[in-house]
Amino acid sequence: MKKLTIFALITFVIFVVGYAQAQEKRDFFKIGVVTSLSGELAFGGSVTKRGYDMWEDAINSAGGIDIGGKKYKVKLVYADDQSTPATAAVGGERLITQEKVDCILGPYASGTTLALAPICEKYKMPHITGSAESPLIWLRKFKYTFGTIPPVNLGPRSAIQTLARDVTPKPQTIAILGIDDAFSKFAAEAEKAEAEKQGIKVVKYEIVPEGSDYTPSVTAIKPLNPDIFAMGNHEKAAIEMIKIAKELKFNPKAYVQHYGMSTPDFRKGLEKDIEYVFGISYWTENMKIQSPGLFKNPKEFANAIRKKFNVEPDYTEAGCAAAGLAFQEALRKVNAPPPLTDAQKDALIDALEKLDIQTFYGRIKFATEGEFYHCNAGLESITLQYQGGKLTEVGPPKTRVAAPKYPTPTWDKR
Amino acid sequence: MELLLQTVIDGLLMGGLIIIIGVGFSLCFGVMHIVDFAVGEWVMLGAYAGYMMVRHFGHDAMFYLPVIFVIFSALGWVIYPVILQVVSGKRFNPAIMGLIFTFGLSITMKGGALTVWGYHIQSVPTWLTGKTLYLGPLTIPGLRVSGFFFGILVTLLLLAFLYKSRYGNVIRATAMDRDTANLLGADVRKVGAFVYSLYAGITAMSGALIGALFSVHSVMGAKYTMLAFFVVVLAGMGYVPGVIPAAIILGLLQSFVSVYIGGRFNLAALFLVMYGVLLITPKGIFRRGW
Amino acid sequence: MAWKLTVFILLLVICFIFPWIVSPLWLRIGTEVVMWAGLAQSFNIICGYTGRLDFGHGAFFGIGAYVTGMAMTLLGWPFGLGLLVSGIVSALLALAIGYPTLRLRGAYFAIATWAMGELIRQIATILDITGGAFGLQLPAVLNLPYFYYMMLLVTGLTYLTTYLLVEKARFGYKLLAIREDEDAAEMVGVNTASTKNWAFALSAFFPGVLGGIYAYWVTFIHPDSVLGGQITDVMCVMAFLGGIGSLWGPFLGAIVVQLIQRVLWVVWGEGTFYLVIIGVTICAVILFIPNGLVGLLEGTGLFSPKESVNELKKKIKW
Repeated sequence: MKKLTIFALITFVIFVVGYAQAQEKRDFFKIGVVTSLSGELAFGGSVTKRGYDMWEDAINSAGGIDIGGKKYKVKLVYADDQSTPATAAVGGERLITQEKVDCILGPYASGTTLALAPICEKYKMPHITGSAESPLIWLRKFKYTFGTIPPVNLGPRSAIQTLARDVTPKPQTIAILGIDDAFSKFAAEAEKAEAEKQGIKVVKYEIVPEGSDYTPSVTAIKPLNPDIFAMGNHEKAAIEMIKIAKELKFNPKAYVQHYGMSTPDFRKGLEKDIEYVFGISYWTENMKIQSPGLFKNPKEFANAIRKKFNVEPDYTEAGCAAAGLAFQEALRKVNAPPPLTDAQKDALIDALEKLDIQTFYGRIKFATEGEFYHCNAGLESITLQYQGGKLTEVGPPKTRVAAPKYPTPTWDKR
Repeated sequence: MELLLQTVIDGLLMGGLIIIIGVGFSLCFGVMHIVDFAVGEWVMLGAYAGYMMVRHFGHDAMFYLPVIFVIFSALGWVIYPVILQVVSGKRFNPAIMGLIFTFGLSITMKGGALTVWGYHIQSVPTWLTGKTLYLGPLTIPGLRVSGFFFGILVTLLLLAFLYKSRYGNVIRATAMDRDTANLLGADVRKVGAFVYSLYAGITAMSGALIGALFSVHSVMGAKYTMLAFFVVVLAGMGYVPGVIPAAIILGLLQSFVSVYIGGRFNLAALFLVMYGVLLITPKGIFRRGW
Repeated sequence: MAWKLTVFILLLVICFIFPWIVSPLWLRIGTEVVMWAGLAQSFNIICGYTGRLDFGHGAFFGIGAYVTGMAMTLLGWPFGLGLLVSGIVSALLALAIGYPTLRLRGAYFAIATWAMGELIRQIATILDITGGAFGLQLPAVLNLPYFYYMMLLVTGLTYLTTYLLVEKARFGYKLLAIREDEDAAEMVGVNTASTKNWAFALSAFFPGVLGGIYAYWVTFIHPDSVLGGQITDVMCVMAFLGGIGSLWGPFLGAIVVQLIQRVLWVVWGEGTFYLVIIGVTICAVILFIPNGLVGLLEGTGLFSPKESVNELKKKIKW
């Protein structure tokens, strides 16, 4: 019993004593980041980390954020949410109360964002997520949370629209297979809604649990002969579904998948079978945008990512760097040096609401009312298609680089 | 009608893949009364082994199946004494201890795979990928058919070994009554080690096949643990011949539920049936389980 | 004896004033530890004392979370009522499941409960009323000390109940009898079926309530986060590491595991290697200190580590 007591006391003492901190004076902006560095979402989390790190790099190379003529560098402090909402909450708590950050850059996933947002509300901590896409976040109308990426129930529309308007003959039928997770299900529902709006008949709408064998579902869809086979998914499921389609010799006239078009996993997983697959993105490096800020155009950002991380850039990285840019511009307007007081943080919220800037990522203007409150919902998505092994922008018509290739040749003819 | 036939074929083939996993798992339980919670992780490790070998040494994935069998059998041989230690005698409820230990093993394997290979999804190409047979209106993917026949082949070989060879008799005797077998001269510890390494080798080998068929992913283990449990519960724990019909039932169940009821109920149907079988006939549908 | 009592009272006092002496971050961590201590103990009731390995035990936690969540959002019920209902629903469900399932033993029971737990998760994902794959959101009330005290209250109740009913009362003796030799227990007159059922229901009540508190505390629940296998896994690890079948084992296990995880998280920011550590720890515990940390610290236990290592060496030599 004595040993037990000593053990307990020592443990207790170690962990209770010791974190007293006085309010520091510092001459740099301390920005907290909560994202999935481990756990099943680690893959996505690492993408966000690259985006945030890229911005930190760029702004510090330029000397820092300009506050009234003096430049202040930025330091990112990471907290891993371990892909669970509870840990996201603890992480947020730690960054706010322990590290005393000026603002927070948010998680990869929507679930973790939903757990983090109330914490930011409580402590009145400005928070922008460069990745979370669930419309449920914006419905909660959090005052202190913003997002640079449009909600996932808006994005998939463009692929369906391109197929409805810009190809001949116009597709008549569509079958949708979605995964039963929050993100994918929203995507599938968005595809369905848009198809119905465009007058395309939805012959089958199926939601299946993640990880099951998709063969029977594809088997059920094949005899219905849909013109379009749309998926609501992350890239892993799309790889498997398309492989199964090939094995079963299922030949819709177009494949539409939702997320992960540019990820190396997707390319490696399908190799040549990736040809003709449609998808969407909110940002590609070929977009014709000019911006006065860091990264003059998308190509500059893409090259910077390639140089620093040796990977192909994705819209999530862009969205995250854009979140950094949003903070940067807003902080400049607030004109307050670090560390920020509570009143200054509120002023930051004000500045974010009034923000309307053109960046390499596109326009950032957070909605101030409506169902997408504080989301950058105005950003239009782009339809992509793999042509000749390259990801090509095929829609909307005004900005596309090439025409969409339709119909997709059957598997035997490739 | 066409749809029905295709659904049946799909189901058969889906079940076929699971046969090998079920066989090894059932044998392991039958002889040593150990439920290995890490069965899915053996599959995952076998899949990664296949992937790594193809990546580093080239050639086709199918080529490495025997190699993987040998490597993982050796691994099983090494791990066995530790498991034996856990399951034998004087502890608080050895059966539970064994379960928890293999559970700990599965977490270690999963964590190890995640740390080494991360969350990327890998594919293992083989010459069979994309080859399809056509039987009238039915499409039969070549890779799955091979998996199916491979599973049957391995099972038949194993059964032949168990029922026709001398050492097979020894193994079955140990399964039936360990102490008597011991008294009659069987070295039960060696038998146990032999069976466990056989199990590890077979399961990892099937993992390589599955890796080629689907994809290789650090967390894929959980799914196969579940399928292995299902098959073995249905077949009767320890009753190896029952695995073939049980796996086929599993495949057909999944296929029919997905096509005719709805993909969402896929997994739920599995668990429901598994639970039901455990309550109604815990010794399996043939009532020959342990 | 006086020494033990003073220490115990000191610890109790610390528990009570905890929110006022630590930062909000540590308060959060402390709340987590308290919650897990309660969860691990509930697992201990059915596994440690009754000898049944319930691999689906985490489902009761998830059910509690969802019942409270749905009661509050769909029916507008107050928190306290929601909690009570959560506990009762969990217990009733345990009785319903237990009635047919407790006939099974050992590995069969483990697999059956595991299947049931996964089934419940699938049902939560399929149904729309639970929010399905989108999860369920609760209104946000951010009063950290409040949640800490709630968790403390319920966990305290768990331990008190375990102490009174299981350690001290005849009910506990019956459980131990069932654990050691169920047939013999039946023969000497213990109504094993009914006793097991009540133990199971008891072990389900507390996670149900804790789950309800958790839902309100984190404000967002999802089938994967509250009904996933990892809840059971962690409960299991904590109970075994601390000392299965002992009163304070789960508490010790909860502290050690949760603190290790959080400290590793702060220091390394890494998660996957933590899994390896946990896995190796369980294996090591089962091999060398099957009575857990409690056994180790009290110098009791069936095997001393040295003995275990020697036995292992013998086995390997063959």
